[in-house]
Amino acid sequence: MTARRVTVVLAALLVAVVAVLPALRSGAAGPDGPEAGFARDMSTHHAQAVRMAMTVRDRTRDDAVRTLAYDIATTQSQQIGMMTAWLDRWGAPKTDPRGPMRWMSHEGHAGGAQAMPGMATPAQLAALERASGRDAEVLFLRLMIVHHRAGVEMARAVLARTGDAQVQRLARTMVRGQEAEIALMTGMLRQRGG
Amino acid sequence: MPANTRARARKNVLTERRTPWGSIAFFTVVGLIAVAAVTVAFVRSRPSDAGKGIAGLVVKDDLSQNHTTGPVTYRDSPPMGGDHDPTWQNCDARIYTAPLRNENAVHALEHGAVWITYRPGLAAAQVDALARRIRAVDYSLMSPYPNLDAPIALTAWGRQLKLTDANDPRVDAFLSAFVKGPQTPEPGAPCTGGKDAP
Repeated sequence: MTARRVTVVLAALLVAVVAVLPALRSGAAGPDGPEAGFARDMSTHHAQAVRMAMTVRDRTRDDAVRTLAYDIATTQSQQIGMMTAWLDRWGAPKTDPRGPMRWMSHEGHAGGAQAMPGMATPAQLAALERASGRDAEVLFLRLMIVHHRAGVEMARAVLARTGDAQVQRLARTMVRGQEAEIALMTGMLRQRGG
Repeated sequence: MPANTRARARKNVLTERRTPWGSIAFFTVVGLIAVAAVTVAFVRSRPSDAGKGIAGLVVKDDLSQNHTTGPVTYRDSPPMGGDHDPTWQNCDARIYTAPLRNENAVHALEHGAVWITYRPGLAAAQVDALARRIRAVDYSLMSPYPNLDAPIALTAWGRQLKLTDANDPRVDAFLSAFVKGPQTPEPGAPCTGGKDAP
C-alpha cells in the first residue's frame, strides 16, 4: 500500500519534471532577449558584407581578393540562414521597428542600419560599385576590415549576455573567423599599398 | 466488549472514509504544476500567429509567382503578389521618392520585404514618420503610389493593410509580423543586388 503510493508520487513527479524541462530550456533564449536582437542585427550586418563581397568579385580579377570575397559571401549567407532559423524557432519577429542594436545599448537607434557599427555608408557602397581593379580591392579591404571589427564586437557582446549554447557556439566562430580574416585582410591591404 | 465486536470496531477504523486531505493537497499541487508546465511549453513552442489581431488586414493566398519581363495586370492596387519581373527592387531599408514599377516591387515582396506606399500629397510629417520606420527596418521599401485609394498602404506578399495615419500602432505590428515573415515565398533571398532606381 505504502510502496504503491510512493510509486504513484514518484511517477507524478517524473511527469511534472518532464513537462517542466522543455519550458525551462526554451527559456534560455526568446523573442525579446539579447539573442533575438543579435540574430536580427547580425543578419543585417552580414547581409551588407555579402553585398560588398559580391560587388568586389564583379570589380576585380585578382584571385586572392575574389577567393576571400567568395568565402565571406557564402559563409555569411549560411550564417544568416542559421540565425533566421533561430528566430523562427523562438517565434521571434525578424525585425524590430523601434530600431536596431537595442539589445546592446538598451536604447533605440532611430538612425537605422547606419547606426550599426562598422556598416558602410551608401556613398561608400556606391564608390565600391564604381571602382575597379586595385582601387576596388583596396576600398573593399578597408571597408571589410572595419565591418569585421564591428562584427567581432557584436559577437562578443552577445557572448557576454547569453547562456544559450547554440548562440554561444556561432558567436565564438564569428569572433575567431572574422579576427583571422582581419589579419589576412590587413596583410592584403599592405601588399596593395593601402 | 465481546471479541467479535472489538474486531469489527477495529475494522471500522480501517475502512472508515476519512478524507485524506494531505494526499489531495499533494496531488493537486503536482497536477497544477504539470498543467502549468505543459501550458507554458505549448504556448512557447507554438509559432507566432503572424499578423493575427491586426484589424483590417487583408489576406490573399495562392498568388502565382512566375517570372516575366512583360507587364502584368494585378488585381490589387498596390499588388500583393503574383507574377513579376526577374529583377527585384532593392529593399534594404530603402526610400524611393518616385513611383516604382509594380513588377519589380512585387519581386521584393517575394523576398520577404514590406512595401510601404502612400498617396502623393501625403503631409510631410506623415511621410517622415513612415520614413523613420523604413530606415530602422532592413527588408523594407517605400514609394509614392499615384491613385492609391487610401493615404497609406502597407503590403507584404499576400498581406495588405490600408491606413490613414502613419503613427497608427498597426504600422509596427505589420512590420514585426511580415518583414521576412512566414508568408515569404522565398525566404533567404536578398534585398540588394537588384534594381536600384525607380
